[in-house]
Amino acid sequence: MRQGDSRHARKGNVPPEPEPVAAGLDTSVPVLSLRNVSKTFPGTQALKGIDLDVMAGEVHALVGQNGSGKSTLIKVLAGYHAPDPGSEAHFDGEEFQLGSRNAQGFAHIRFVHQDLGLVLEMNAMENLALSAGFVTGPSGIRWKRQRARTEAMVRRLGVDLDVRKPLVEATPVERTVVAIAAALTGWESGRGLLVLDEPTAVLPHTEVDRLLEIVRETRRLGASVLYVSHRLDEIFRIADRITVLRDGRLTATRDARELDAQSLAELMVGDRVDAAFRLGRPVVTGREPVLAVKDLAGETVESLSFEVAPGEILGIAGFAGSGSEEAAYLLAGVRPTRPGRGEVKVRGQEWAPAAERLRRAGFPLVPADRGGEAVIAEFSVDDNLTLRVLDRFRKRSPALSGRREAAFVAEWTAKLQIKVAGRAASITTLSGGNQQKVIMGRCLAADPEVLLLAEPTAGVDVGTRQAIYELIGRLADDGLAVVVTSTDTTDLLALCSRVLVLSNGVVTEELTGDGITEQSLLAAVEAGTP
Amino acid sequence: MTTQSTHETSNEAASVALAEIPPVGPSGTSLLGTTLGWLSPKRVSALYVLALIIVVFSIWAPNTFPRTATIQQVLNGNAVIGMAALSIIVPLSARVFDLSFAYTMSLTGVTAAHFVAARDWPLTAAVLAALCVALVVGLINAVVVVVLRVDSLIGTLATGSIIQAFITFVTNEIPITDAKLFGGFSDLGQKQVLGLVLPVWYMLILAVVLWFALERTALGRRIYATGFNTEAARLTNIKTRRIQFCSLLVSALIAGWAGISLAAVLGSGSPTAGTPYLLPAFAAAFLGATQITPGRFNARGALLGVITLGAGTTGLSLATAPAWSSNVFTGVVLITSLAVTTVQRKPRLQTSRWRARLGREREGRAR
Repeated sequence: MRQGDSRHARKGNVPPEPEPVAAGLDTSVPVLSLRNVSKTFPGTQALKGIDLDVMAGEVHALVGQNGSGKSTLIKVLAGYHAPDPGSEAHFDGEEFQLGSRNAQGFAHIRFVHQDLGLVLEMNAMENLALSAGFVTGPSGIRWKRQRARTEAMVRRLGVDLDVRKPLVEATPVERTVVAIAAALTGWESGRGLLVLDEPTAVLPHTEVDRLLEIVRETRRLGASVLYVSHRLDEIFRIADRITVLRDGRLTATRDARELDAQSLAELMVGDRVDAAFRLGRPVVTGREPVLAVKDLAGETVESLSFEVAPGEILGIAGFAGSGSEEAAYLLAGVRPTRPGRGEVKVRGQEWAPAAERLRRAGFPLVPADRGGEAVIAEFSVDDNLTLRVLDRFRKRSPALSGRREAAFVAEWTAKLQIKVAGRAASITTLSGGNQQKVIMGRCLAADPEVLLLAEPTAGVDVGTRQAIYELIGRLADDGLAVVVTSTDTTDLLALCSRVLVLSNGVVTEELTGDGITEQSLLAAVEAGTP
Repeated sequence: MTTQSTHETSNEAASVALAEIPPVGPSGTSLLGTTLGWLSPKRVSALYVLALIIVVFSIWAPNTFPRTATIQQVLNGNAVIGMAALSIIVPLSARVFDLSFAYTMSLTGVTAAHFVAARDWPLTAAVLAALCVALVVGLINAVVVVVLRVDSLIGTLATGSIIQAFITFVTNEIPITDAKLFGGFSDLGQKQVLGLVLPVWYMLILAVVLWFALERTALGRRIYATGFNTEAARLTNIKTRRIQFCSLLVSALIAGWAGISLAAVLGSGSPTAGTPYLLPAFAAAFLGATQITPGRFNARGALLGVITLGAGTTGLSLATAPAWSSNVFTGVVLITSLAVTTVQRKPRLQTSRWRARLGREREGRAR
């Protein structure tokens, strides 16, 4: 289970130990220096006059909420976007052209993007050779030498790895190592900058430590690192200096030791932010449940029984594989090949077999993977929002009434406070948080009695997170029953007045009201691990 | 991103222009704005290509090309391609390929001709029988693709191959020709109304019906949702499998009708009549997907694609260019238009999908 960012941030606020730096490096000289870097897209200015210095041999963290301009800056640096005229960049004192991959300075800046850019069907040796080239002889590739070279490169980062194993079988951290090694090839000496974009986004919590060790190792090799991450705790553990972006502006560049989680979050959000936000809703008692479930079982869920009443927000917690991820999908009745077994009672009806009843009830689900399971990227915001309730926009003729649809969209974007650029704007122009609001609106428009949320704030920035929590709270006040499954304790702590803890598919503990604390929740979840 | 931004610019420019004018009509756009949007090269680049074709061939073949007869020739000569292209846009919109439609065309042409010529059936009965055969083909396709979950590209290629085998088995590769095919049957494809043969009118009616169904109804929205992100559509309570199943029935029916029209045009039931239509139809459908509503297969775009490609090939033949030149033309136009729209398109949300895949693997290991 990924633990709440806030918790780590608070714990992680220990000044980093001074790290040994490669000999002969003058750490007071900027390796990369950006001046007045701006980038204007039609309608928005994504970057406004960024001045950034990355010193030699430092780990420089770049943080900011979604839409703050982080990724635009990285893309400008990577030559993917051309910046506005007037932007300047120097590498080691020499000016180079931003927005062009062929520029001289670019040779010294290497990137490991979030998706790593590896071919998973190939092994480490082949992947490295794709960027570094193969060792060839008259009879083709000289695999023995190739292997020795790959092993040397990987070992340099302090990792032992079978370089002949396809990366599909490698752990996420091993893949990251291969990606970093590939980025560092041909870079045996001299100064350079390694840009790591959300390197831990796909890593399980336990492997983050190893990755940070590798980042330190990279620095020991003489490189500077620009480290982009959402996870504040990591940043405090690894960064020497921190640069915060907000709304395309550089808010501050500070020494990491001057900041703590709270002050950093404030720099990111602008206002005071309560990291320990709680809805604090009372425990619901004595109301007739709107949904009751008895011995529900699916693929990983083995036995789940509960009742949920109108106005209640029920959480389901558990490690990956405990069944908590599956629970919401089972309750939505959307697992056709493995429908739920067990019994279900919906308010006003009799107990009935789960699969059939849940499918017919069709409680709307906000899925965990927004990009893959919820958002239709080719559709506009409007079309995404109305997808579930299209039949409302027609009367006698089968044609949809544009007027009615527009009125509906206006009502819901106002209700959910979705910030949309224009009516026909593609949904991909929205930030993750606003996309999530659209998906929630899609579900709520159906006027359900029960709303199912899986990972409701995954990939949602801090500011919008709280807005989503408050929205869910208001919905519950209006009598909606909400079931939340999340691997992020922050969600459950903020939202729920009752939490069921699943372990190996079985409910092992039930926490209510004030009994739900970070410690009790984590203890309950961890107690269930084999 | 840069190209995509320019794309946004044009949209925004259009909407800025709109802001000044009070909204008219249900979608809140004015007539002027609609016209401006309509003529944007981002949406109807084929129209500009068409204009270029007209200019070029008017200069190249001044005695034969710039005539009303050419318009007739383009429309009459490409109506069957148009129907074939329209037959596949429904499954394509739901992300299902139907490669068997060309064989279905041969099959229904042969069937209708057979019943009229050899069995003396009345025309209506023969046509209905042929359409029933088409429906059976569609049903088989749907079972293979949706129920048995065979990849549609391979699955419909396989059923197409079987259909061709069946046709050969029955006809011995001998076209069905008979005096009875002239008159009532051939009128279906050769009779002219307002200077245009009936298949042109079938094509136009079909295009209007499909335009309405895909772009103006809830069903159409659900079909597109299914095609763009099947899983998201399914989780939004859309019956994605039913939609894909029915899309194959629809394409088979339309292809069936196109096949009957083709046999009527030819005045015979040829066992291989449909196969030459496979590539031009896909070319027109894909070219059409870059037009009007870029990124979506759509009826108006397909029609525009057919006419553009048809005008080019007709022009080349009128200018007595070598025979291979029309295929070169089709290929070049297709690649250019698709390349341009692919560049414009936004990178997909691949990261999150990839992340989900990793997540699942991780989950698997944890267990």
